[in-house]
Amino acid sequence: MKKTLLILKNELITALTRKSFLITLVLLPLTSFIILLVISGLQKSGQDTSAMLENLFVPASLSSAEGFVDNSGLMKEIPDEIANALIRYNTEEDARAALNAGLISAYFIVPDDYLEKGDVFYIRPDFNPMGSTQQSSSIKSLIAFNLSGGNPALAYRLQDPINAIEVSLSNQEQRDSDHWLTFFLPYIITFLFYIVILTSSSLLLNSISTEKQNRVMEILLTSLTPSQVLTGKIIALGLTGLLQTVVWLGAGLLMLRYSGRAFALSAAFQLPLSIMAWGVLFFIFGYAVFASLMAGIGALVPNLREGSQLTTVVILPMIIPLVFISALINTPNSPLSVFLSMFPLTAPVSMMTRLSATQVPFWQASLALLLLALTAVFLVRASASLFKAQNLLTGQTFTVAGFLKALAGK
Amino acid sequence: MPNIIVDRISKTFGNLQAVKNVSFEVNPGEIFGLLGPNGAGKTTSIRIMLDIFKADSGTVSILGGAMTEEKKNRIGYLPEERGLYQDIQLERCLVYLATLKGLEESEARGRINDYLEKFDLADARKKKVKELSKGMQQKAQLITTLVHKPEVVIIDEPFSALDPVNTQMVKDLLKEERHRGTTIVMCTHQMHQVEELADRIALINAGETVLYGGLTEIRRRFASDGVLVRAVNSLPSAIPGVQEIRPHNSSTLLKLENGKTPQEVLNTLIHQGIILEHFEIALPSLDEIFIQVVNHESE
Repeated sequence: MKKTLLILKNELITALTRKSFLITLVLLPLTSFIILLVISGLQKSGQDTSAMLENLFVPASLSSAEGFVDNSGLMKEIPDEIANALIRYNTEEDARAALNAGLISAYFIVPDDYLEKGDVFYIRPDFNPMGSTQQSSSIKSLIAFNLSGGNPALAYRLQDPINAIEVSLSNQEQRDSDHWLTFFLPYIITFLFYIVILTSSSLLLNSISTEKQNRVMEILLTSLTPSQVLTGKIIALGLTGLLQTVVWLGAGLLMLRYSGRAFALSAAFQLPLSIMAWGVLFFIFGYAVFASLMAGIGALVPNLREGSQLTTVVILPMIIPLVFISALINTPNSPLSVFLSMFPLTAPVSMMTRLSATQVPFWQASLALLLLALTAVFLVRASASLFKAQNLLTGQTFTVAGFLKALAGK
Repeated sequence: MPNIIVDRISKTFGNLQAVKNVSFEVNPGEIFGLLGPNGAGKTTSIRIMLDIFKADSGTVSILGGAMTEEKKNRIGYLPEERGLYQDIQLERCLVYLATLKGLEESEARGRINDYLEKFDLADARKKKVKELSKGMQQKAQLITTLVHKPEVVIIDEPFSALDPVNTQMVKDLLKEERHRGTTIVMCTHQMHQVEELADRIALINAGETVLYGGLTEIRRRFASDGVLVRAVNSLPSAIPGVQEIRPHNSSTLLKLENGKTPQEVLNTLIHQGIILEHFEIALPSLDEIFIQVVNHESE
């Protein structure tokens, strides 16, 4: 036990004094802090930060006016609020000339059979498959206005027919649905879990591969058993990951509490304790699963370079929730989202995304955790069996088939 | 009772049988040479002795029985390839490895300071290990081997990368350890070092023990029928009882006829008025025995 603690202590010191770790630990909160500081400064100076942010995200060329050619004869009048954004041209030649002259950035053609088909052509000098959906609000307003017979209120309602107000019958405390953090929280939690689990388990692979390469492993094995070495390393680097999470979350909360109006965390916004509790449990078992897989690779590969290349195999299941992040957040109770949050290799990230996006039934979270815990126990034991001297001291070539067979104990 | 008893150990990796029925014993307070060409199975045998590898068959008794956690603290090991953390300061590396051998940190620090002074490494204590020369790293590795005052020391190529001054220092250190009663198993290709230091040897070739015993006894076993002489006056071209006369380093080797003894040849030389400076029975060097045995085995 004492020797395991010595390994743990040494791993902690090594990880926490590693330059790359310290830079990552400090740089992320620091960068966020600087961004918030700049925005807060602008707020204090009285500038419209929302407009400034909008200008940052919308390309300058797309902010200028656009034209339209109405061949349907439906567009009798242009509402005042879009009169400067949408300029009428009688023919397509006129519109094209204005485009070439730089007077407009693009133009629409409303064909004579618009009412039957609904097609509207969007002509622009560059190619962007998403462009028409981004920039169609003004032409929609124009059409809605004219189809409603020039009634602005009716036109507005046609364009935005409902304003859904959610009333939950759940007896659990609700988060403020209008708060920006409610929207961003699932994304933040997803990426945080992904980064922390990946960083911690990668540190483990790095540590094992380096000790194999510089032959320290042979010295360690004359003082300890392979499982003592593995245990000390897994716990130490797990603690490192937890520390990283605490620092990042703590710094984030501090910044939100003391930043300017735009990002200030209202007293009404509370991160439910249950999410934090689930978070700790899913982190522990999720880390155990991926750390075991990394340790297995570390035990089998001859050097760090080969090990790093092979991490792709292990991190692939962690990337899947990122690919489906929109589905997980927008439809958190769909069969796909439920499956991803139950499957042990995708569960740590997916379940946390769901938990932060909606109220997950308790049995689902519990079952996912149980499956994850069982997988963690299996993989820790399998990796410990790989973590034997013969694998650690011989420079055999790694094969995925061999790795999977070894994990299965064959 | 021997401190190490290796009894018919065997180990196979895949299709390769690295060690086949190797046996030897090492007594307390002796330096034992474990010799063999590259790939002979020496390192595998050592790893089995240290309980790093499990033997497929056979047993190892060390310090009175099977290896235990407690015994690991009573054994020092110097691997052939250096095993030190390259990116940390030398002192921290040594202290950490010493604490893994059961020393308290303060005690480890004190002993390491002494060794650093003794090995002329005191100025390098705050340097990263990777900044040290190969020779300095070898000395640092030796400190990790000896710092916990082990009862059994197993050293693989202890003189590699050392200059003559440091080689002599290490030799003196090993003699000191032997005097202290430490059991030392030394693997090396440098036969002259073995001749100088070892009391007994085992020669392993292709995984098998091909020679085992006291150094002098083995050399006698391989002695040719010859004597080495050095005379003040010149030797005659023909000597009764001698079938061949040829120079050998600074002496002359007299190969005896069958049935003739060195004593008879000595008497003949004296009767012929030869004034002798030096007369000894010609024993082969360990190098010659090594080459002879390995070549014979490979044939």
